[in-house]
Amino acid sequence: MTARALFGVLQARLYAQRRVVLSTCAGALVAGLIAPASLAGPVLFCSLLGIVLALSQSPGVHPHLDRCEQSAPLFGRELARGKALVPCIAAALTVLVYMTGQLLGGAPIPPLTLLIALGSTVAGTLVALSATMRRGVLRALYVLLAAATSLVAFALVEVGRSVPGALAFCAVVAFLALRQYGETLARYDPI
Amino acid sequence: MRDATFATETATVGPVSLQLEPGERLTLQCATAEEAAVVALLAAGIAKASGGSVLIDDYDPRVQPVHCKRVTALVPHEPFAIDESEFARYIAYRAALWNVEPARAFAHAELIRGRLRGMHEAFAYPLIGALIGLPRLIILDRPQAVYAPQIRTAVGEIALLSTHTEPAAASAFA
Repeated sequence: MTARALFGVLQARLYAQRRVVLSTCAGALVAGLIAPASLAGPVLFCSLLGIVLALSQSPGVHPHLDRCEQSAPLFGRELARGKALVPCIAAALTVLVYMTGQLLGGAPIPPLTLLIALGSTVAGTLVALSATMRRGVLRALYVLLAAATSLVAFALVEVGRSVPGALAFCAVVAFLALRQYGETLARYDPI
Repeated sequence: MRDATFATETATVGPVSLQLEPGERLTLQCATAEEAAVVALLAAGIAKASGGSVLIDDYDPRVQPVHCKRVTALVPHEPFAIDESEFARYIAYRAALWNVEPARAFAHAELIRGRLRGMHEAFAYPLIGALIGLPRLIILDRPQAVYAPQIRTAVGEIALLSTHTEPAAASAFA
């Protein structure tokens, strides 16, 4: 996949989803302003927003983009990378906006908190992307799995006291989720 | 396409057999809208046949989907919910996906837009987007019969397959 195609998908999807992205960023800013300084806030709240952003990319929400991408000469894994980048960037933006809200509220932001929040949010978002290609119980299970990813990352830091462990967990889950999403897109029949 | 079938959740579409040579035009009369949509998707290499075989430019979409999609272009039945203000954005997006040089894509798009004068933008833009990728086969899923003259002019010498549910619409494209 060329960088141009990747940027094309990113630009078109972000433009189509601009209202959802702006709404989640606004929500993150308000939550950041009023929430007490802790790891739970950015990790759990921003992961939730990441799941919302991922689900807003479900087939049928923007049918003309879906149809163009399905008929474009791209492999499933290439398309997966392009489509996955959109909610990941939007979710990362919500983390940064949340942290800005915390800063404006006078709370200190340790760099590790930002790193863990980014890692768990992106991993959860990538897991939630697989839910967009499924229906019914399976869809709900993937959403739960996405939420569980952030909970596990949070528990690894708070209970296990292992920041590298949490980051490694997020990296492995994100990698596997992206592969799974690519496989699903390659097999997906739009009928 | 030889004895191609596609099994949906409720029914099986096909078997459908058809052959199209470069530059040829073929209209396919289908019994239902679902069948017309499925045949169009099969011919474009987007949906994979459950049975039988589909070959596009001697390649099987199940094995070489990217090559097949480079050769074909599908214009869906549903009109696009985009207006004139988004035309440039849409062409840039299509050009990026098909790796077409932007300046050439815009010039080509304007040329085709001129040929499609009088056609509603919701139907014209998907056809323009399909043509800027320089496909060798255009597949129209249940196109509007009223726009047949403009579509035939815009498509030119490119092979054309159109699916229809109305005999009158099929004869307009024959």
